[in-house]
Amino acid sequence: MRRLCGIETEYGIQVDEVAKMDVVVESMELIRCYLQQDFVAIWNYARENPRLDMRGFEVDELRNDQDETVHLQQDRQRKIPLKDLKSDLIIHNGARLYNDHTHPEFSTPECYGLHDLVAVDRAGERILLQCARRRTDTRGGGVVRLYKNNTDFEGHSYGCHENFLLSREIPFQQVIDGLLPFVVTRQIFAGAGKVGVEQDHKARAATYQLAQRSDFFEVIASVDTMHRRPLVNTRDEPHADSARYRRLHLIVGDANMCEYATALKVGSTALVIDLLEVGELPACELVDPIGALKEISRDESLCWSLGLAGGQSSSALELQMLIMERAEALFKGRDEETDWILEAWSSTLESLGRDPQELVGRLDWVTKKWLLDAFVESEGLDWEKPEDRIWLQSQDLEYHNIDPAEGLFLMLEDQGQVERLITDEQVLKAMVDPPRDTRAYFRGKALQKFSDKVRSLNWDSIEFALDDRSQIVDLKDCVDEVTATYYNDALDAAPNVANLLARLATAPGRESKTGGAK
Amino acid sequence: MSDFIHYRDRAPRPTKPIDDGGGEPDEGPRRPKVERPSTDNILKRMRKVDPNQARRYRQRTGQ
Repeated sequence: MRRLCGIETEYGIQVDEVAKMDVVVESMELIRCYLQQDFVAIWNYARENPRLDMRGFEVDELRNDQDETVHLQQDRQRKIPLKDLKSDLIIHNGARLYNDHTHPEFSTPECYGLHDLVAVDRAGERILLQCARRRTDTRGGGVVRLYKNNTDFEGHSYGCHENFLLSREIPFQQVIDGLLPFVVTRQIFAGAGKVGVEQDHKARAATYQLAQRSDFFEVIASVDTMHRRPLVNTRDEPHADSARYRRLHLIVGDANMCEYATALKVGSTALVIDLLEVGELPACELVDPIGALKEISRDESLCWSLGLAGGQSSSALELQMLIMERAEALFKGRDEETDWILEAWSSTLESLGRDPQELVGRLDWVTKKWLLDAFVESEGLDWEKPEDRIWLQSQDLEYHNIDPAEGLFLMLEDQGQVERLITDEQVLKAMVDPPRDTRAYFRGKALQKFSDKVRSLNWDSIEFALDDRSQIVDLKDCVDEVTATYYNDALDAAPNVANLLARLATAPGRESKTGGAK
Repeated sequence: MSDFIHYRDRAPRPTKPIDDGGGEPDEGPRRPKVERPSTDNILKRMRKVDPNQARRYRQRTGQ
């Protein structure tokens, strides 16, 4: 697989053994526990515009749900500046670590390789665990716990977003229409599993769902992410040349604990984008995509049937098989990771059709259900009894606890009952080293090598202090492997910032990508 | 960063081919026999989970 991609994960945060906590401050303080010194705000917000929509307009403001609007009014009374509250950090592996709206968020560095992405996603868990333990040690009471999940079971969801860079040549509506059948149905392998139903009082409370997030979507596409939540966020912010690229910002996914599920989710989506770019994605139109998302997630018969335009019917499994076979016909043999994705996708669909329990240790919703069923049997619990169900929701929550001393998934993993794609050594390396073949390397290594000269930065630029001037290195074009390699090699060879800038300015066949003395 | 959390190194587990159950070829399709991992240790941990943990867990809406 060679598509630039990344994952943003918002973690749930809880402090036990205290009467009351301020989640905004707690999340901010937790992020700062990563630092060995005082926080200095260097994230550059000036080049961001989250109100710009890919459909060709700009909204006046982003909207929030009613509940959150009240919280935000209270937040505005705080004396803490927004930059301090967010506590944006870029860390040495090229990732962004910050307080995103009361949730500690780890945004992976950009990756080309699937294994790199899985390694750095797991690295994020361990970096945040480190922060949580330090916060517990320093806060003077209470135990800080973090959960890599997407719900509090009471109607509040937080995201795990995937980002993929793709060609701007494909009209945005075509991107949405093409991806929708895949995105709605991929939860049959990508869902993290959930006890109960939210935001629907008519639904059966004892339902075990495939996905944590499917209850929370109301529209197909929107620039908002916290009001009438969309499957695809339309923010026009490619972090690259906007004349050539889009960033597909998929916000419908769950946070996965299983490495296999993370890799399959991202890898299969990348292959579907490949199909879209070459005009080979099978044409298919769902009658009611949002309704189907919820119905599939809640269908405990595992039939996962859905209606297609024109009065036809199909199933999530059949649609996935159709798309997978098209990808297999076109891309098999292209490279090692593509072959892994195709093999995993195919065998997973076969197992889902035969006996999902074959996928214990590979898919989260299957693994969690297997644990819950064993617990129900062992304790004589009843899914229909509210008090028993709360205990099952507590087990659901603890499946996602990122502390290996407590988390149910991590305990299974420690016992060797979960399939690993990477080693712990690779995870430890990914905590500090950025992927070598993307601009994340330039970002992370520039911070390591010239930290006292970095004045500000964000995903697509770094501002260096040079004598009494500022020099901005624009990384918007640094999203292909050739350019990234040139920049990364220049950084490795440069003894100082002046030399680095000179090397970048004289890149053969390239105009200067630096400038903007201020 | 000087104080990493150290985890015991675990090698990736190779994917096992699905056992076909060992039936004779002429017996027709059979349900594959899938070995279930043991739940004994994990059930001990699950019994210690506070039944009200999910009730206390309240978050604000994120993205």
